[in-house]
Amino acid sequence: MTVPPVLRLRGAAFTYPGGAGVSGLQLDISPGEAVALIGPNGAGKSTLLKGILGLVPKTAGTIELGGARGAAPAPIGRIGSAHAASGMIAFLPQSAELDPDFPISLEQVVMQGRYRGLGLFRWPGRADGAAVRHALETVGLAELARRPFGELSGGQRQRGLLARALASEPALLLLDEPFNGLDQANRDALVDTIRTLKTRGVAVLVSTHDLELARLVCDTVVLVNGTQLASGPVDEVLTLGNVQECFEGLEVELDEHTLVVPGHEGH
Amino acid sequence: MGYFERALLAAVVIGAGAGFVGALVVVRRRTFFAQALTHGTYPGAVAAAALGVSVPAGAAVASVALVAVMAGIARVRRQGAQVAAGIVLTGGFAAGALLQALIPGLPVRAESLLVGSILTVSDGDILLAASVAVVAVICVALFGTRIAFSTFDPHGFRAAGFREWPVELLVLGLTAASVVSSLPAVGAILAIALIAAPAAAARLVVTSFRGLLFAAPVIGAAAGVLGVLASRGLAIAAGPAIALAATAFFLLSLGISKLRALPLKRVAIPVETAEDARIT
Repeated sequence: MTVPPVLRLRGAAFTYPGGAGVSGLQLDISPGEAVALIGPNGAGKSTLLKGILGLVPKTAGTIELGGARGAAPAPIGRIGSAHAASGMIAFLPQSAELDPDFPISLEQVVMQGRYRGLGLFRWPGRADGAAVRHALETVGLAELARRPFGELSGGQRQRGLLARALASEPALLLLDEPFNGLDQANRDALVDTIRTLKTRGVAVLVSTHDLELARLVCDTVVLVNGTQLASGPVDEVLTLGNVQECFEGLEVELDEHTLVVPGHEGH
Repeated sequence: MGYFERALLAAVVIGAGAGFVGALVVVRRRTFFAQALTHGTYPGAVAAAALGVSVPAGAAVASVALVAVMAGIARVRRQGAQVAAGIVLTGGFAAGALLQALIPGLPVRAESLLVGSILTVSDGDILLAASVAVVAVICVALFGTRIAFSTFDPHGFRAAGFREWPVELLVLGLTAASVVSSLPAVGAILAIALIAAPAAAARLVVTSFRGLLFAAPVIGAAAGVLGVLASRGLAIAAGPAIALAATAFFLLSLGISKLRALPLKRVAIPVETAEDARIT
């Protein structure tokens, strides 16, 4: 491949000071590529995403970011990675991690995606406002821009946070379990948005339990459970044996179109 | 300016300043922290009174130490922070009471340190409170959006490459300054009423952060003025009257918000089923 990857992990491990973590990570994500990160609860999926953001210390291997904007991948350190990555990586957290009672409107939340690009003493300008509107249109929530965030439904909040991630115009988008608790309409909207982003050249790394979804939007799958078990094209990696190994003997059903892991689809 | 006019001015300045800072305290869920801070400054105030120096200065010294401790504690798990704040609260209060008992012939009456004496505030007290309010407004004008981001979504804030501790330290610093400057008017025990109640009242009736930052100081100033007027009209202590006025505003807002929530006036909100909204 001639295009340099946006993200490259080589033998990387991310470990919380308490000892929990994820290791043995080998991963390349190119512009416009979507990678599914699959594993059971506690497998280290969120830890990996937060490690890339510099929120969990890297304890082994290398992580390189770059390439998407013509620059060669550059190694980044443990402490400074969040800053080195600023403006390049956007993160969609699990909604449960934020305060829904805080008095803030949807468009103000989306504008947060622009702060990194603004200096300390600069206020949002016309370009920022346009980026916010564009992001809200992309996720289909433009008409709810002034609605208090706390009054939105779970699915709408998730899409609003995705709009915030988009407003920062990232090269790499990290999504942490974005499909949990979504109804079909919101799920479809999210799938469409991810597809749109891929065509725009955004690299996407999404952690999910949803194997069907990995089939729908992802090119590559990485199976993790404490360590990386397998990675590669969706059809090659999502085999019964691989998935069973990853989910540690939980009963796994696998047919042509859907992959169901009982007890995990709606945790 | 007579003592009564001065008391009214102090009530407006201190009430507005405490209300403004209180808005930050309430949205960041740091009310119990602020409460601990008010009681923790008590021994500093007693020591200052014994030494014959400015009471707010003594409280400020105590609060600087406490802010340093609490900024560290705030980074620990939430549970731990609450417990530590409780210990600081009772420990500070007990130390102040002990100090007061040990030092005979204290030039200031214990009561005025605990519940304030707004009728005897000095020009310096008013100037201090005004300065704190102005500094708080400037800080929020400059960093308000960052404070909002970090309060709303601490993980997202850090993921965007920002550091959280400067925000935490700024808000704790403003809180401590507000507590110290409120002491002359409402004392160590009642200071929390002027910080928490106006903001909590405003929070019930406004839906934006900006609206909260306007409404809370107005309610705080109104509570101060009403308290001073009631104090003169009914011949009751001013500090408790101010605290009760602030509480009354909270109850009033609570009533208004309950009335608004009646089915007739309920705003149409696109609520999906509980199952849809569940994100775990």
